[in-house]
Amino acid sequence: MTNPTKKYLLLWAIFIAVMLLLPEFVSKGTLRTIIFANFLAIFAISWDVLSGRTGYISFGHPFLIGIGAYTSAILSYRFDMPIELSIPLAVLTTTIGGTLFFLPALRLKGSYFALVTLAFMELMYQLVQVIRPDLTGGTRGMSGIETITRGAVNNYYLSFALMVTIAISMWLLMRTRFGSALSAIGMNEESVRGSGLSTTKLKLAAFMTSAFIAGLGGAFYVHYLGSIAPRALFDINFLFTIIVSALIGGAATIIGPMFGALFLTILLEALRPILPGVERYLIYGSIALIVYMFKPQGLVVLVLDTLDKLRSIISSRS
Amino acid sequence: MSVLEINQLSAFYGKARALNDISIKLDKGEIMAVIGANGAGKSTLLDSIVGLTRTTGDIRFEGQLLNECSAADIVNSGVGYATERFNLFPYMSVYDNLMVGAYTARDDVEQNLELVYDLFPRLKERETQETGTQSGGERQMVSLGRALMSSPKLLLIDEPTIGLAPKVCLDMAAALRDLNQSTSLTILITEQNVNFAMSLAQNLHVLETGMIRMSGTPEELKANPDLNKAYFGSS
Repeated sequence: MTNPTKKYLLLWAIFIAVMLLLPEFVSKGTLRTIIFANFLAIFAISWDVLSGRTGYISFGHPFLIGIGAYTSAILSYRFDMPIELSIPLAVLTTTIGGTLFFLPALRLKGSYFALVTLAFMELMYQLVQVIRPDLTGGTRGMSGIETITRGAVNNYYLSFALMVTIAISMWLLMRTRFGSALSAIGMNEESVRGSGLSTTKLKLAAFMTSAFIAGLGGAFYVHYLGSIAPRALFDINFLFTIIVSALIGGAATIIGPMFGALFLTILLEALRPILPGVERYLIYGSIALIVYMFKPQGLVVLVLDTLDKLRSIISSRS
Repeated sequence: MSVLEINQLSAFYGKARALNDISIKLDKGEIMAVIGANGAGKSTLLDSIVGLTRTTGDIRFEGQLLNECSAADIVNSGVGYATERFNLFPYMSVYDNLMVGAYTARDDVEQNLELVYDLFPRLKERETQETGTQSGGERQMVSLGRALMSSPKLLLIDEPTIGLAPKVCLDMAAALRDLNQSTSLTILITEQNVNFAMSLAQNLHVLETGMIRMSGTPEELKANPDLNKAYFGSS
């Protein structure tokens, strides 16, 4: 095993151990904040599989999360379907339905792709309010949706288990030829085509994987919240929090989006007493800007580099 | 039978015609060079063969018409393409870059890797280095190596000496000659470096503004006063 791999495995082990012990040391309020961070990490990983790896920037992830959340909520709340069935069906609907919508967009590149996906989010926002409000709850959404478990601690462990399972699965997937090919697309798509690979098929597979995770996260999220409202889900701030989490932590990695989600959530909560309004987003926007300008690889690399420098300073003194 | 046969090929970028009525034939085991200045259409010719441009006319590889095939299918059928312009994945190691080339020939990975490392021992020494941090010559080697990892029957190389020092050009010529002699691989290169192309190819075509102006063996072209004037400054 190479040294960098050992270092990463050690970081993972420390991270999981700290997170498992967290309920012993923090209040339930803080735990609820971390639950949101766990879900945000899932959404950021989902975004990163497509956009962080291949460079196709999606502004439409709330659209996918929304399909998962609304499908499971409608099936369980309106049709009394058990959650064990509504969640898999919601994931399937997101993967297939999302793919059908995004398929034409995958032919576009750069800002065109980003703009089309942004339009999908807005389309979904309008659709859930006007099409069958008896099912979606219209503008007010739905409340009283069945939850999977009760209490902050149980929900914390559930969201954490889901996040870690997704993270490890994606880590393993990204170590395969498929993962390398996706990263290669992000660096040079023409060259991947010139190497005999179908980039359309690869992007489609990346999108389906991304939609699968978004649907899974969305369905679990709605059964944690117990309610859903279109304005909260199809919100530009929610979208940018997902994207910034992935980028600020470190795109095209697994630990990056997780770290970024945790960092952003804690930062936003810490700023709440000082800046209760949306001005908080100004602060995180500024931090994101500084990180991209000086360390575009993200905070994880910044932390690792700083640790390496400290270690070399200490060893040179001793 | 010719390995590659191109008849009346024209290529377009939008409405602009970049190649005009090109016809060339390449036999098995042959090294052919297409020489010309910047903007002559050399890279467009190779891009057209692997299906990356809009074309009219026929391109046949081992008798099979390539015009309607996707780039992926063309490479899968045995055409390797090495180009410096958009070739490498800068944040991936030498080894990972080579492996992207191997996706279409998974059964031959070990054998092809040995061939590439024999040809360019420097790549073996630096297989964990990210290609974005390598010299121009090393990147050309990776580019060629990656094309070879797909077990090609025809290798297309776009300006292999661009930006290389004279000594590295000589090494590159020797490596390509060895490759051609040891594997009978058919090679089509494009070049601005006329000396390099003439030292390597059995047949050459001179491309100007998308059209073939002259063709012949190195000896025939050297004897041509127009070519001498254009490329060597003497007649």
